[in-house]
This record gives sequence, C-alpha cells and structure tokens, in this order.
Amino acid sequence: MALIKDQQLSLSHTTTPEIRFSDWLTEGETGGDSVLTNGEDDLSSLLANAHKLAMIAIEFQTFADGRGFSMARRLRADGYRGEIRAVGDVAMDRIDFMCRVGFNSFELRDDQDVDQALSKIGEVSVHFQPSADGKGPAYMV
Amino acid sequence: MYAYNQFDQTLVDQRVEQYRDQTRRYLAGEIPEDEFRVLRLMNGLYIQRLAPMLRVAIPYGLMKSQQLRALAQISRTYDKGYGHFTTRQNMQFNWPTLESVPDILADLAKVQMHAIQTSGACIRNTTTDPFAGVSADEIEDTRPWCELIRQWSTLHPEFAYLPRKFKIAVSGSSSDRAASQVHDIGLHLYHNDLGEMGFEVLVGGGLGRTPVIGKTVRQFLEPQELLSYLDAILRVYNLNGRRDNKYKARIKILVNALGIEAFTEMVETEWQRSKGKELRLPQTEIERIKGFFKAPPYLSAAHASLDLKAGFAEYPQFETWYRQNTRDHKQPGYRIVVVGLKNQLQAPGDVSHQQMDGIAALADEFSFGELRSTHDQNLVLADIAQRDLLALWLKLQNLGMARANVGTLTDMINCPGLDFCSLANAETLILSRQINETFDDMDYQYELGEIQLKISGCINACGHHHVGHIGILGVEKGGKQVYQFTLGGSAANHASLGKTLGRSIEQDQVVVVIGQILDVYVQLRNIDETFLQTVHRVGFAPFKERVYGPHQRSAA
Repeated sequence: MALIKDQQLSLSHTTTPEIRFSDWLTEGETGGDSVLTNGEDDLSSLLANAHKLAMIAIEFQTFADGRGFSMARRLRADGYRGEIRAVGDVAMDRIDFMCRVGFNSFELRDDQDVDQALSKIGEVSVHFQPSADGKGPAYMV
Repeated sequence: MYAYNQFDQTLVDQRVEQYRDQTRRYLAGEIPEDEFRVLRLMNGLYIQRLAPMLRVAIPYGLMKSQQLRALAQISRTYDKGYGHFTTRQNMQFNWPTLESVPDILADLAKVQMHAIQTSGACIRNTTTDPFAGVSADEIEDTRPWCELIRQWSTLHPEFAYLPRKFKIAVSGSSSDRAASQVHDIGLHLYHNDLGEMGFEVLVGGGLGRTPVIGKTVRQFLEPQELLSYLDAILRVYNLNGRRDNKYKARIKILVNALGIEAFTEMVETEWQRSKGKELRLPQTEIERIKGFFKAPPYLSAAHASLDLKAGFAEYPQFETWYRQNTRDHKQPGYRIVVVGLKNQLQAPGDVSHQQMDGIAALADEFSFGELRSTHDQNLVLADIAQRDLLALWLKLQNLGMARANVGTLTDMINCPGLDFCSLANAETLILSRQINETFDDMDYQYELGEIQLKISGCINACGHHHVGHIGILGVEKGGKQVYQFTLGGSAANHASLGKTLGRSIEQDQVVVVIGQILDVYVQLRNIDETFLQTVHRVGFAPFKERVYGPHQRSAA
C-alpha cells in the first residue's frame, strides 16, 4: 500500500498502528506511542492524550465521512506536532483538503496512483481559510 | 457589488481545471460512480430524470448585467435557450451534457461565476434579502457579511464532507425577507440596546421532511467574530451530526436531540478556544468588503423624482404595475422594481435567453448594471429612478415581463417537480399552468391581497410548501399523483409552519380546492385582514368543512 508523507512517496516509514485508541487507553504504558482512531472515538479524550503519541492514524470508514477533517484540524489547533495519517478510504480527490486541515501522511487506497495523487496537493493554490499550511488569505495570517 | 481580484480569479480558474480532470477520470473509468457523484454534486451537477442539471451559484442573488448575459449565452450554447431561478437565488440549466460541464464552468469563470458548492453535503450559497442595501426598512446592509461568509465557506477544507447540506441566510431589516428562520443558520443583523451592531444567531431551522423553526443559539454576536462563531457551529455539527440516516442528518435533528441548551454549550465551549484568533475579522477587512457595496451614484431627489400621475392617466395598467411590483426605496426619488418570472406561458422561475439579454440591457440602462434574484423566484432591479419607471415598464411589456402579479396568488413558488427532478413524486408545473388558467382575473387576485402559494413535488420541500400561506405537497399514492394542502405557513418575521388541511386531493381537483379555500377567506375575512391572518384567527374548521364537506370533518 503506497504511503505519501510530507508531500512525497515514502518508502521507509512506520507501519500504521493497529491498536485502536479505545484499547490504547486501557493498556497504559504498553500500548505504544501511536494509535488508530476514527470519528466514533471521543475527541476530547484524544486531545488530552495526544502529547503521548508520535502518530495518530485517523481512519475514514467511507470517503463521505468528514469527521476526520475536524479531528485533524483540532489536533493541530491544539498544537499537536506528531504525524497525523489518513487511512481507510483515502483518495486523491480529498488529499489536498486533508493536507490543509493538518494531515501529513496518507495511506492511499489501492486503486490510487501515487504520482497523480501527489499532483493534487496544491491543485487549488489559494484559499479563503486559515490552514495548517499557513497559506490563508492575507488578513488571516 | 463585489468584484474578483487575482486571488478569487485564480481560485475559480484552478477549480475549473480540477473539475475538468475529475470529469476526465470519471469518463475514463478511474473514479467509481458513487465517488464521482459526490464530486460532481459539489460542483452543482445533478443527474436528473432526462438529463444532467447544472446549478450555477449566484452569491446572495447579486448579478452584474454581463453575468446575466453570460448565462443567456450558456443557455444558447449548451442548453435549450432558457434557465430556471431557484429558491436559493441560483440558476439551473436543465439540459447540459456531463461532458460539456467543464467548458460551461470555464465560461462562467470568465465572468466571475462558478457552480462551487451549489449542491452536496457542504455549505451552500448564502442567501439574503433581495432588497439588501436599498429597502426603506433596512437596519444594516447584509451584503458585505454575505460576501465574507461566501469567501470563508468556499472550498472550506474541513467542512466539505458534512453529514448533510448546510444553508445560511442573513437578514438585516425589520421585515425578514430571507426566510432566515427556516435555515440551518439564520443571522439577524440588528443594533442592541447600547447601539452596537451585531448578529442574533439562529440555528436548526429547516424545511424538508422535518420542518423546524430555528432557535436562538446566541442573542448577540459581535460582528468581528462572525466567522469564528460559524466555524464553531460547523465543527460541532461536523463531529456530532448523524451520518447513519440522511433524513436525520441535518443540524436541526442534532439540535433537537441535544436540546438547544446543550447544543449552545457545546458551541460556546468550542468557540471559547477559537474566538479572538485567526478567524477574527479585522475592521480593515470588514471596511474593504463594505467598500464594494457603496451606494451607486444616485441622482438627486429633484432629478430622479417625477410625478407619475400623467403616466398613470395614460396607462392605467402602469399604475397597477407600480402598486403591485415596486417597493419603497431608501433613496428619495427611487423605487425597487420586482420583475416577476411568473407569467402564464413559462414555468415559475423560468427565463428565456431573450429575456435574460433583455433584462441585462434594462439593468444597464436604468439600474447601474446590476440586478438580483429572489428566493421566491423573481428578479429585482433595485435602483430605478421614478422618472424612468414608465420607460422601464414599457420595455418590460415587450419582454413579456410586466405582469403585475407580485405578491399575489399567481406569484407562486414552484419546484420543477416530476417533469425534471428525479426525486419528485408528483408533477408541479401542471398545477401552475392550471392555476394560471383558472385564476386569470387579475382584479380578483388584487382583491384577495397578499397570498403566498408554494408548491413542492416531494417531501424535500424545495418549493417551501411548509411556509406557504397555502402550501401544496405532491405525493404518490397507489401509483397516482395526489396533493396535500397545508394552510397558515409563513417564513416572515413570525415564522410559522403550515398544518395539513386534510386528506390528499387529486390532481384535477387542486384548482377547485384552491378556489374553495379562497371563497372561505373572502366570506370570513375582516376588513383589511390578510389571508394568513384570517386562517390564524378562524382556524381550520371552516376550510375543512368547505373542502371535505361537514360529515367528513373528522375523517380528515
């Protein structure tokens, strides 16, 4: 499965965690420093524990499930600097928006072409919103 | 009005190319059908019963004449020579091909237009009072705030995959002409006791399957924090709105499930984190946007005014049109003119390419080159000097657009229904034809006074039937198209939802029942009492009795 990290194809990277956030909460120290989460998990609990995590993989169960966008945005707004990985139904037509809310790695769906997906990042080069990449309109910066 | 700078133009141009590539990949089989469906909807493209339908955004209903000309040209080049104005102040084309849509979008971009977010589970076109900036009863011009919302909501990366569509309306006058209480968010501009301007924020209103009047989530919001507050509401909704059932996915369901107090607390908690930060609007930015909506170079009252008595004497119909289709303007010597799109020959809201070109020319000649679309599917020329009214009326007659029926029974809202829409259960356009044929006596309509008739072809309520004084909802029963009547709805200041009159009516009886309802009103009304007031005063019993007969009252 192809992985894009920091806007390039990543050939050596940590594997996507299999431990779900809810299980990690009960395992304590042994749970490791990365988790798999999705829109069903309690966001405030995730935010409270984020400082213990090097990677948070947010799963999109379907491409229409937009909760992960708000989760990533809130993690970054709270100052989380670790890796936020998009997993599940991740395709090139959402990767630019995912970058802008703070995802920095992407486990692409099997049918996706990596080069094409990379070309979609920044396809619309200006935005009206403040973004994780700092490219908002002048008055917001 | 607002004019694009390089930033806006770049965004729209790049968005066209992005969609062109999505279309190409779909046609090449590289994007699955269900995924492309979502992508095309975000660009306003539906697949209807007979052909695709493209919905073009007209932000808060404001257009320049050259934009309307471009729409006319698009209707000639890619469609069948007409367009249709919707209740979100947008324009729909009913016959483009899927393959031609990227070219249509490129043509639109040349005149600073697009189809971004005119459909899909995202923030839709913000709507407002079609008389914003000109009406005599205005407290504050809503247009700069609509523009700020337009910019903030356009291609918003966090809120593109919401549980369901999201609609915002802004009102800034003592009369609410924006139906703000039946929107996901309704904003009311007003001055508080200290004389400060701000917003009352309503949330969770809506029509559709579960009609609800919006509830106040914040009594007073300082305008600089408008975007941070909207952002907080949208985030609470995006994270918590239901995604398991599309009929329970609108924000109104979330607000009702949590209760307005708990919902408000969640929004306030979210907002405390974000207010005063990057989304706070600097006064300089507010002033910059307001600068686009300065008053046009009006003539002095002495130059603009004209005693219309001579014109009225020569053309009695001109006087009728003046009384029915024009409104008070805040500038002395000027009138607001409503150009009705409700004649006997066209479907409500439809406009031919000749009419579009004609209206554009009239906007150039008489109204500073601008015009507006309204949520009740008409057009407005907002700045007409009194001395030009007669010349304008004569020219509108030539276009077949001078029918003096604004605000009357035949000025109805009508969704396209089963003739076009794949969601519809029943035809609606046949009803508007029948109604126009049956109630063709204009004097009778004037005598009835203001009546808002709103017709939807299915429960999704695009025709806003819940807030019609008389609402008609088409449903399918046992393979037949039948129609449910509601009475007493209103989207104005004291918004109310109509209640069902009784069992459904067959298609050929609809005009008969409308006539019976009107008869009851005429019999029972007090002096100067409107239809809506009479319904609220006398209740449903006399209407039921007339329509269903005395022995069937309980059966209803």
